[in-house]
Amino acid sequence: METLTGAAATAAGHATGGKFLTFTLGNEEYGVPVLKVREIIKVMDITQVPQVPSHVLGVINLRGKVIPVIDLRRKFGFPAIEHTERTCIIVVDVELAPVRVMMGVVVDSVSEVLNVADTEMEDTPDFGGRATTDYILGLAKVKGTVKILLDLDRVLGTDGTLGRF
Amino acid sequence: MSDPNQVPGDDAELAAFAADPELAAMFIADAADHLGTIEETILKLEASPADLKLVNDIFRPFHTVKGNAGVLGIISIQEFAHRVETLLDLARSGKHPMGPAEIDLVLKTVDLLKLIIDELPARAAGKPTTDVAARRRELMDRVDALILGSAPAPSQSAPPAPVGLTSPPPPPEEEGGRGKIHRTEDQSTVKVDTKKLDNLVDMVGELVIAQAILAEDPALKTGDERLIRRLAHVKRITSDLQRDTMAMRMVPIRQTFQKMSRLVRDLSRKFEKPCMLNLAGEDTELDRKVVEHLTDPLMHMVRNAIDHGVEPAGIRRAAGKSEAAQLKLSAFHRAGFIVVELTDDGAGLDTEQIRARGVKLGLVSEGAALEPSEIHQLIFQPGFSTAATVTELSGRGVGMDVVRRNIEALRGRIDIQTVRGKGTTFTIQLPLTLAIVDGILLGVGGDRFVIPTFAVQESFRPLPEQVQTLQGQPCMVQVRDRLYPLLHLGEVFSVTGARQRISEGTVIICHDNGRCVALAVDELIGKQEVVIKGLGEMFKDVRGIAGGAILGDGRIGLILDTGGLLALVGKTGSQVAA
Repeated sequence: METLTGAAATAAGHATGGKFLTFTLGNEEYGVPVLKVREIIKVMDITQVPQVPSHVLGVINLRGKVIPVIDLRRKFGFPAIEHTERTCIIVVDVELAPVRVMMGVVVDSVSEVLNVADTEMEDTPDFGGRATTDYILGLAKVKGTVKILLDLDRVLGTDGTLGRF
Repeated sequence: MSDPNQVPGDDAELAAFAADPELAAMFIADAADHLGTIEETILKLEASPADLKLVNDIFRPFHTVKGNAGVLGIISIQEFAHRVETLLDLARSGKHPMGPAEIDLVLKTVDLLKLIIDELPARAAGKPTTDVAARRRELMDRVDALILGSAPAPSQSAPPAPVGLTSPPPPPEEEGGRGKIHRTEDQSTVKVDTKKLDNLVDMVGELVIAQAILAEDPALKTGDERLIRRLAHVKRITSDLQRDTMAMRMVPIRQTFQKMSRLVRDLSRKFEKPCMLNLAGEDTELDRKVVEHLTDPLMHMVRNAIDHGVEPAGIRRAAGKSEAAQLKLSAFHRAGFIVVELTDDGAGLDTEQIRARGVKLGLVSEGAALEPSEIHQLIFQPGFSTAATVTELSGRGVGMDVVRRNIEALRGRIDIQTVRGKGTTFTIQLPLTLAIVDGILLGVGGDRFVIPTFAVQESFRPLPEQVQTLQGQPCMVQVRDRLYPLLHLGEVFSVTGARQRISEGTVIICHDNGRCVALAVDELIGKQEVVIKGLGEMFKDVRGIAGGAILGDGRIGLILDTGGLLALVGKTGSQVAA
């Protein structure tokens, strides 16, 4: 039986390695499967949209396409900070049932594309019900640091793991 | 009378159909075209039954459908069509008159063929479909009976067995016969997936905007003659390209009008009210999407006109009108819009009855001073119906409100002109295309909004005394004796940096569904045509926003939706955000 290579397969029940794009939020390092990433762009003019939660920053014009932009800091409850020149928007594909949509995710800075071997993967430990961990694919211990690998469909998607949007 | 042994449901015949989806889709589209042509022609034939050229015009597309079905191996369709074709063949050679029974039969055949062909994909996929065997057999029996009744011995032209692909070739073109039907065959066409076309239109829209951005670039203001000339050239090509791409999405309204002809024919029999439908401007072209969504509202309107508008023949005679009601359906261009009008010479709207009904439903107050035109607008309210009796088709109080909603969804508007005893005209005004909207650019704080021009009634800078406050909060604006509810866009959308004092900004009176709202904004920036883009799944619950548009500077401006804004009146920014 061959599981999905490249992207992390949650269905396997056990986190597997692959290529991840890593980025920082505050002092934490995160990663998303590289196959989900479309491109990385500088922060551009964001048009605010009314009546949405505060972590939905608005919409941007990505070469003629209108796509929503999410502030991952606010989504995770970090204090908001001023955007710096390292602030980036990672454009990702997200399953927003029933459709796939492109979405921009604002992060503090983008680090690198990381190859994570299966042996470096660790299942998400049980935090004793204090934090929801369904949206975490697993933890990767690489070069002495821990990267939190995210399941973007669950972070940004509609399945309600982290509340609707 | 041989019983057909191939009945629909025996799906071995669909093997070829299922094997080649592309060919199958083409067959379905073609058949729909041809059956539409047959329907249109047969209604003409009904008016002049002796016209053999018309019979011929029916025979040919019929033959094509039969042939195509044969190529795909769909025996049940082929055989059925062949039987009816035999009758038409006799008729076009003058051996069999086309009477009401024959015409009715052909129409029923067209209906059944449409149904069978529409359901082919479902059948091929093994899904349950309507059982048409009985209807089919009945029609085939009727054909046989009609043929047997025809004067000359039909022995040589009515073979009872299916003939497969060796059926007679299409008849040669007769003098004067090179008419409309042949025209379509001369054009070489390519069938393109509409998604690709929509994408193209979208991209061209972006190109137009990108070109405009480039033209306004300050670096070009240096006055370099050569550069400006070259840019002008690009601009010319871009606008040509835009015009031609838009034209690709345009289709004539003819098919929709044809459906109405058929509807009028059926309804006038049903209600026993003789009606004549005159068509005008069938070649007027509209955006494909507009045409698609126009059929349902038009059908409602035609039903209403015949059921409620047109009086019974006795009353018409007493009123000195012709016994047959005159309906007119026309389409034409007017001032950058497409106008579709439905006129009847029936009883007209009963203003007093409508008012009484409106009072009863609590839509208007008893003694309200209303213009007749305002009272007539009440028929567009949900649940409104003054019909004394509920008929099968209309009078249940659904209808006109749905009609208006459908029209407004197309960014169009519908108006009524009516004269008691003389008749009613419904006028539908539609934009040329759905992809681009003519808008007015508004500034609020640092944000830009676009409001569609058709929704705007007037704009002005209010004097402080025009603004009426309630508990210290501005809530109404007075314009010439009328008070409009006020919506402060900056506040309701929580825009940072919006002007607080209404009298320092601009007020725009906009309307939707007959209701008005005064929109307070910081400034009016100008007019602009914009390509409408949906904001997507994530923002589908946002009220007051219809979409986004990419503006000249590359930023996105939100397009306002007046209907949604009206629902926000009286709410504060924090209430709206919740």
